[in-house]
Amino acid sequence: MKTDALIDSLARDAGPVRPLRSPLRRIWGWLAIALAFASAMVWAIGPRPDLAERVLEARFLLEQGAALATAITAAMAALALTMPDAARFWRWLPVVPAVAWLGTLGLGCLRDWAQMGPAGLRLTPDPECFVYIALIGSLPMLALVLMLRRGAPLRPSWTLALAALAAAALGNFALRLFHMQDAALMVLVWQVGAVALIAAIAALCGRAVLRWPGVPA
Amino acid sequence: MSPTSEGAPDSGRSERRHAALDSLMRAAQQGDRRAYHLLLQEVAQRMRRLIAARAPWLGQADIEDIVQDVLLSLHMARATWDPSRPFMPWIAAIARNRLTDHARRYKRRQAFDQAASDLAEVFSTTPGQSHAEGVVNLMSVRSAMAGLSPGERRAFELVRLRELSLAEAAQQSKTTVGAIKVAVHRASRKLKRAINTGGEESK
Repeated sequence: MKTDALIDSLARDAGPVRPLRSPLRRIWGWLAIALAFASAMVWAIGPRPDLAERVLEARFLLEQGAALATAITAAMAALALTMPDAARFWRWLPVVPAVAWLGTLGLGCLRDWAQMGPAGLRLTPDPECFVYIALIGSLPMLALVLMLRRGAPLRPSWTLALAALAAAALGNFALRLFHMQDAALMVLVWQVGAVALIAAIAALCGRAVLRWPGVPA
Repeated sequence: MSPTSEGAPDSGRSERRHAALDSLMRAAQQGDRRAYHLLLQEVAQRMRRLIAARAPWLGQADIEDIVQDVLLSLHMARATWDPSRPFMPWIAAIARNRLTDHARRYKRRQAFDQAASDLAEVFSTTPGQSHAEGVVNLMSVRSAMAGLSPGERRAFELVRLRELSLAEAAQQSKTTVGAIKVAVHRASRKLKRAINTGGEESK
């Protein structure tokens, strides 16, 4: 096809478009969907019986706050990566809460060990975490991918990895509201491990899910 | 709005031209097809010039392929432009992204083709050339290399042997793309001459 012919056809079928708003404005819609779905799941599965005590514990609140902040900032970073002239600042935004999340859990491991000795760091298989995190993260992930596909697939792998990190971190946030597991090492390995694994798998699918027109996967 | 004539860039003028692009894109987002048509033509023109300057080894068809790809990408991403911000950095980010993708696909192949055709010119192209003949030719290339000026030798090494792009080679040797191109061309010619005469002497 001649370039002039392409220009003619692009101009012919170009209707008005509404400019996408900044990640800061778009995040709220996603957060509403994601939190509504997560709450419905927690309600359906049944919250943990000791939830009322847990929410008074600084450590639990800190870990949950960091997980939620990681989810929100990762979703904003993913949205920003699909905007060609977005500031670079956005993509580094999730680093702070993610480090805080890993840090609180790391400190938690030390505290468990100090309080309970080797028993505090016992690692037993807990594979259902992965299933729950993936399940609760599924709809938020779908919603976020639909939002991302309206943008430009400039960095498809990073974008999808950050989106999956957002969805899975939110899944983990919800998981801890019904799953009786607070040993820091168990949370770190099985839950944060599941989140990282999901993000890594998403990175591999990036180019297949987000791509420019006319470019084969 | 016609394509610029090549000339000394006047910053005030280019700012005005950029502002004109901003308003074209703003109108395009609101559904003005004529403005969009003009904008696409302007972008195509600029991209064509940019690619031809950055990748002089690309053929006309390859350049048009990339230009069309950038236009399609602009079309797909046109909602991601924030009308309160300038158009140029936005389209530049898209173009850079598309060029990098293309470079990955084309550069190795093109550089390889070019190096192969140069080698075919430099070495004798008799089919069924034996290994021994290859070695002799390689040795004569080595000795022929000694006849090059340091600048020519460096340019030839960077571009033909290490397969850097002209722009990368120019950056490494702190000179211009044009100078590198000339040096490589001269080096190829000298080598060819040296090897041809060497070959005749050995016969």
